This record gives sequence, structure tokens and C-alpha cells, in this order.
Amino acid sequence: MRSWLKMIKELTLRPKGERQIRKSPSYSFDEDLNKPLSGTKVKEILSINSDVVFREFFLQGKERIPCLLAAVDGMVDKNQLDQFILKPLMVDLAGNPEMAQLTLANIVDKTLQSLLPGLEFKKISKMGEAIDAILSGDAVIFFSDSREALVFGARGWANRGVAEPITESIVKGPREGFSETLRINTSLIRRKIKHPSLRIISLKLGDLTKTDLVVTYIEKVASPDIVSEVFRRLGTIKMDGMLGNGYIEEMIEDNPYSPFPQVSFTERPDVLAGKLLEGKVGIIVDGTPIVLVVPAVLTQFLNVNEDYYQRAMVAILSRFVRYLGAFVAMLAPSIYIAVTTFHQEIIPTDLLMSISAGRQGVPFPALLEALTMLAALEILQEAGLRLPKPIGSTIGIVGALVIGDAAVKASLVSPLMVIIISLTAIASYAIPTYDLSLAVRLIRIPLMILAGVLGFFGVSVGLYVIIIHLLTLRSFGVPYLSPIAPLRIRTLLQDTFVRAPWWALKRRPQLIDVKEPQSGRKGKG
Amino acid sequence: MEKISTHQFMTLGAAVLMGGTFLLLASGVTEASGRDGWMTVLPGFTLAIPYGLVVLSLLVQYPHKNLLQISEILLGKWLGKSIGLIYILITGYYGGLVLAVLGDIYERSIMPLTPLWLFYLGGLLLVLYLVGSGIEVFARFSEAVFPVIVIGLVLNVLLAIPRMEQGELLPILADGIKPLFFGVLKVMPFAMEYILFLAGLATFLPTGKNELGQLRTGLWRAAFMVGILDMVVVIIQILVFGPVETIRLANGILELGKLVEISRTVSGIESLFMGVWLGALVIKISAFFFMVTWGMESVFNLKGLKWNYLVAAVFMGIALGFTRGPYMLRELAFVEDYLMFPVALIWIPILWGVSCWKKGTGVQ
Repeated sequence: MRSWLKMIKELTLRPKGERQIRKSPSYSFDEDLNKPLSGTKVKEILSINSDVVFREFFLQGKERIPCLLAAVDGMVDKNQLDQFILKPLMVDLAGNPEMAQLTLANIVDKTLQSLLPGLEFKKISKMGEAIDAILSGDAVIFFSDSREALVFGARGWANRGVAEPITESIVKGPREGFSETLRINTSLIRRKIKHPSLRIISLKLGDLTKTDLVVTYIEKVASPDIVSEVFRRLGTIKMDGMLGNGYIEEMIEDNPYSPFPQVSFTERPDVLAGKLLEGKVGIIVDGTPIVLVVPAVLTQFLNVNEDYYQRAMVAILSRFVRYLGAFVAMLAPSIYIAVTTFHQEIIPTDLLMSISAGRQGVPFPALLEALTMLAALEILQEAGLRLPKPIGSTIGIVGALVIGDAAVKASLVSPLMVIIISLTAIASYAIPTYDLSLAVRLIRIPLMILAGVLGFFGVSVGLYVIIIHLLTLRSFGVPYLSPIAPLRIRTLLQDTFVRAPWWALKRRPQLIDVKEPQSGRKGKG
Repeated sequence: MEKISTHQFMTLGAAVLMGGTFLLLASGVTEASGRDGWMTVLPGFTLAIPYGLVVLSLLVQYPHKNLLQISEILLGKWLGKSIGLIYILITGYYGGLVLAVLGDIYERSIMPLTPLWLFYLGGLLLVLYLVGSGIEVFARFSEAVFPVIVIGLVLNVLLAIPRMEQGELLPILADGIKPLFFGVLKVMPFAMEYILFLAGLATFLPTGKNELGQLRTGLWRAAFMVGILDMVVVIIQILVFGPVETIRLANGILELGKLVEISRTVSGIESLFMGVWLGALVIKISAFFFMVTWGMESVFNLKGLKWNYLVAAVFMGIALGFTRGPYMLRELAFVEDYLMFPVALIWIPILWGVSCWKKGTGVQ
């Protein structure tokens, strides 16, 4: 019994402090990794892998020095290795007076300073550093028994390149999106913000995967408290494998049991740049085009970057439609159930007659009818999501026309219910963020049950519970319902439900404590 | 220690001061002052200002302490604890009665067949969630919900305009000024409820010099805002129903909701308004729940989840055990007029007087 309770506790309660997820096993070479460098030992550890290639050659200096070049085939740019390492050392420099002074004692410094022309060279002296560099796609040159080696940054693997993001398509604005390669992604951000205050700090996560990630923010715009909190939370993650940002999201969010997303994401460099300029912090993980942004507040999930490319009036209308869509997606079935079950007095007589005529012959109560239709909708959505595009559209036709129409004809559901559920589905697509859309789908069901049991009283109680829950949420210390509560009137009027014209957006949004409130003016700090 | 901002102090104050007053006020003041009853609302609420200022001045002298703790310091341990006990009993009883009002209005207006305890349970669930989340979340809740209550009231009033009878307010002051005094007396207890809340809330208020100025401003803004809103609600009820019917209708605003009609098509939308009034009542009940927990913590050092459940059970017991309808309203009026009003009226000036005297004589 106690072990069962312990297991349930482990599965439900997130531990505080350091979080160790699936510890990696220990290996025979673990101890060697902290020892002084030895090319022979590195070869011994890695040579069993067919993708790791070793090239042995000699340098003729004052003495004949054996060298070893190690790299992973497919991760390194072979042309660069030939052009900047092998050709200079083996062909071009033969007979060079500098070569005559080479000894094992000075070879690393001499090579670094005057023999090799490449941009990215680094001196290392530990086994672990050498192995990390090789497996991350760099090339390492070992010189006989020297305790130092040179890392040459020649990463070059096949990548997707910069393409238009699938999840955040827009009509008016830039088309480029992040890719799976970290360095390309950081360069996209650097192209947007060409200021030395843009910080791009590298970290590694995952004992086995050694996944590279960067934390990016603008100094003196981002709150130092939030930046240090991001580093603190990332520092607590201890896991063997980190294959995507979803892993990080769940480990660093404040309330893991909330249906509402507390970390936002984007695939677009312009969106990330905009958020960094608002004082937020981005986390870019190698191997995924999705960038995490913290802190996140509820209202930003209903705003899109196109709002800033459109004229203010158009943006206001779009935002109004999105907010309306979110309310309809969340409440339409519940209101229908409450009205038809408890509060018929609210319906005009003609409409009431029409509804009751439509419901004639339907054997189920409105709640059951709605739940059944919603379950069918959820199944259709889930099925359509994973299928290839051509078959996906077929699912839509089968679902909407065949099942919907047939269900009405068979008197299993009323026509109005089909309309309500369709409206709900369409409205949920007006929510621009997928995570928020999922949250709305989740909370819709309890609201429907409350409406079926207690009418508008139940819906009201459900809504107040949601409001209180939202009020208790924080994202990296920032209240989730900010700027509504706590009220920040300027931000609310400037860029929340409406978007003021660009000439009126003089201050940064005060969702978070930033040092430099005046956009375009010099900061205090 | 949780803290609330000066703006939250204002909205929380306004929300607690308003609570469910708009449901009950019109009948009482019209009974006391006739068709001129609306004139008594604003002066009655402004009583909260001097008393609130006294509480804030005590806060300056005893920062981070509530008035129950200050009472023990100024009046001695046993007298202080006795006052605390009275505070707990009165606020606990009244909180349970307000919970009973919640169920009563739902049962009488839109859901007569639903068991009452379900309304109490729903209300208590929200209250427990709010209280458990702390004063900061409660302040933010009122910050988010109070504007919705104001919009609900304004809409209710505006949509009732076509039903108004222009002559109902005339002649003004036909019975002279004297009845107005009795009307003001009917409103004052509501202001004192807020002062009792403020007495416990003091611990969570900021104490900086600038912030104290903002707290004072927030105090009179809250009193005037609620006073004006409630006055408009009373005026519209007298205009729509006439003085006699306003007295008879215990919850006139609910009847007003039933009369609302949009373009001769949409009517009977009181169930939508009820959702908003639920928020107002939840704020009021939560405020009294907080008062009881603050009292228990200050007097008996009892705090924690299990004591919250105990208070919830007491609230539920009071709500379930009480007779509904006019008798319940009479009991509410009794607690307001003869328990809360005199306690706050006497307790706070005495504290202030003793504090000034001790300060003057240098006694610690």
C-alpha cells in the first residue's frame, strides 16, 4: 500500500529543487572524461562507432610529430577540413620557415597563432571537452602525446533551411521561420536586433543527448529577476535525454496541472524579436524550430504578430473577433444546454417553437446530445490532425456531411445542436494559439456538465472557478491575468484587447518589471 | 507576508462595500425616507470615509497589525481578546446569512426547483477557493469582477429606462428632512461592515508615506463610487416601481432584471444578471470569511485549512438553518443595525482615542 502511495505521489507531485529525470547509466570511460587529454584514449573510446572518422598524419617540424584529426562523418563540413586543416598543414606549409621551429611543446600555440587560417579555433585540455566537441560536429586535432588539442568549428550537416512556418502563417509580414539548427536560429534573431545588449547565452541539457540550447534576452529591457529565474529553473533540470522544448516547458512552468499554457512559443524570428523587445526571455533549443518565450500572460495568447503589421483599426477588429471566438468556443454549448434545459424564458417564443420542433423525436437530453456531438468532433479533429493532407480533407467531408446529416435525419441529434457544435468548432479555430485552443477544449466539457446540472448557476460557478484559477496562476512571477488583474490601465488600453496605433505605443507593456519603460528613450539603469 | 496594491485596496474596498447592497438597499431606505430615500444613500456611505481614515491612521502607528492585535496592545489582553471574540461571532453569523441570501435569490428568481444546498455548496466552493488562494488573489478577483458588476448594474438600469414613470420621484422632500435621517441610519451599517473588514485587512496594506496618501484617496473614491452607484439603483427602482412597491419588493433589482426587454424580442435575461450578482455576493461572503479567519488567527492563533473548513461548515449550517424570505432579511437587518453598526461605531473611536492618549502621555 505504501509503495502504491509512493508511486502515486511520484507521478502526481512535481519535486521541488533539482529534478532528476531518468538518470543515465555509468560507463567505463566516465572517469577518463575528466582526465588530461590523450588522443589515443579518445580514439579508443570512439573508434567503435562507424560514423566517427580519424585521419592520422605527420607534421615535419624540428621533430616529426604524429597528429590525429577526429570528426563525425555527416556532421562536419569535409570541404572545410580539407581546405583549412589538412591542405595547409600537409601541403601548403611544407618548407615554411615557421614549420622548422615546431616542437611538441609549442605546436598547439604555433598552429593556433600562425599556421591555420580558420575562424573558429579553440584550445582544449580535457578528454570530456574533446569528446563533446567531436560528437557535436566539430573537428579536433590531437598532436602526439600533447595534453592540449585544437577544436575547429566546422559543423556542417544537412538542414531544412529557413522556410515559412506552418503553425503561424500570416498575410502581411515576413515569411521566414526558425529551423532545427540552433546557429541558424540565433543568426535570425541577431539579424533582427543588431545591438550589443542582445544576450545569447549557451547551455547544455541532457546527460546523454547533450542538447545545446540558448537563453536570449535584451539586457536592461528584460527584468534581471526573470532572467535569473530562467537560469535557475533550467539549472534544476537533470535528465538523460532532452529531445525538444516540450520537455523544458513542463519542467519550468509554474503550475503543471493547469490546462492553461504558461509558456508561449513561436516559430517566427520577428515574433521572438518583438517579445524580447517587450522584456521577455527566449529559450531556443537545438533540433526544434519552436522557441519558448517566458513569461507568458493569458491575453498574449489571443494576440498575433500580424496585429502589428496591420493598421490599428484592422488589428482591433481582428482582436475583437478572436476574443469573441474564444468566448463562443468555450461557452456556446454550455449556454445552449443551460437555456434549453433550465432557462427557456430567455428564448424568444418563435425561436423556442423552432427549437422544440427540431428536438422532437430526439431521445436524449440536451447535455447528452451535446456531449456526444462534442466527442464526435474531438475524434474527427484528432483523426484529421495525424492524417496526410489529402485524406484529412476526406475526414472533414465524412464527419461534417455524412455523420452530421445522418445523425439529424436519424433523430439522434437536433439540427440546432449540429449548428452549435459547428459554431463551437469554427470559433475554436479563431483562437490563434494552439495551446490555448487545447485549454479551451479541456474546460468546455466541465462547463457543459455544470450547465446540464445547474443551468446558468452552474455555468457562473464554473466561470468563477476558472477566473480564480487564472488569478492564482503566475508565469515566472508575473500574474497570468496581468494587465487585467493586477490592473495596468495603460497596457490594457495600449496593447491588450485593442492595439493602439504605433505612434501611441510609447511605453513598453508593463506586464513585467522592466528597467527601461520608455521605448525609444535611454533607460535609467 | 502578502501585500495588496493601493489600486487593489480601492477596488477591493469598493467591491466589499458594495457586496449585495444593491439587492437590499432600495427597500430599506424607501421604507425609512419614502420617495426621497435615494438621497440618503450617498451620505450614508460617506460615513466609511472618516472611520476608514481612523483605521489608516492607526495603521501608521502600528504597521503590519490589524485592529484586533492593536486592541490587545491598547486595551489589554483580555479586553482585546473579548473584542476579537465578538468580532468573530458577528462576522461569522453575518457571513452565513449572506450565504443564505445567495441561495434565496437564486431559488426565488430563476431556479425554484433546485435544492437550496446546491447553491450554498456552489457559493462556498468559490469562497473556499478564494480564501485558500490568499488575500492577493482575492484582491485581484475583485479587481477583475468589480468592473463587471458595475457594467451589469449600469446595463440593468439603462435597459429599465423605458419602464420609468417620470413623476414617481416628485414631490421632493414632501415630508421634510427628518425622514432622511432615518434613511441614512439604514445605510450606515453597510459602511460599517466595510470598516470591520478594513480592521482586519490593515495587516496587508502598504505603509509607505506615498502609499498611505493613495490609500486615503482610494478610500473616498470607493465610498463615493459605491454611494453613487447604489443611489442610481435606488432612484431607478423608485422610478420604475414607485415607492410603495419598492418597499414591498425585498430584492427590487431582481424584479428589474425580469422587466428588461430588448427590442421586444429578448426578455427574461435576469438569469444572465444573476451570474454577475453571484460574483458580488461571493466577494461579500469571502470578505466575512476572511474576517472570521483573521479573528481566529489573532485571538486564538488558529489558522490553516482545517479551520477554514470549520468556518465553511458554520456558514453552511447558518445558511441551511435559517428561515428564508422576509424573516431572513429581518435577521440580516438586525445584525447590521444592532450588532455590526454599534460595535464598529464604538470600537474604532475608542481605539483611536486610547492610541492618541497613550501617544500624548508617552505610555507604551
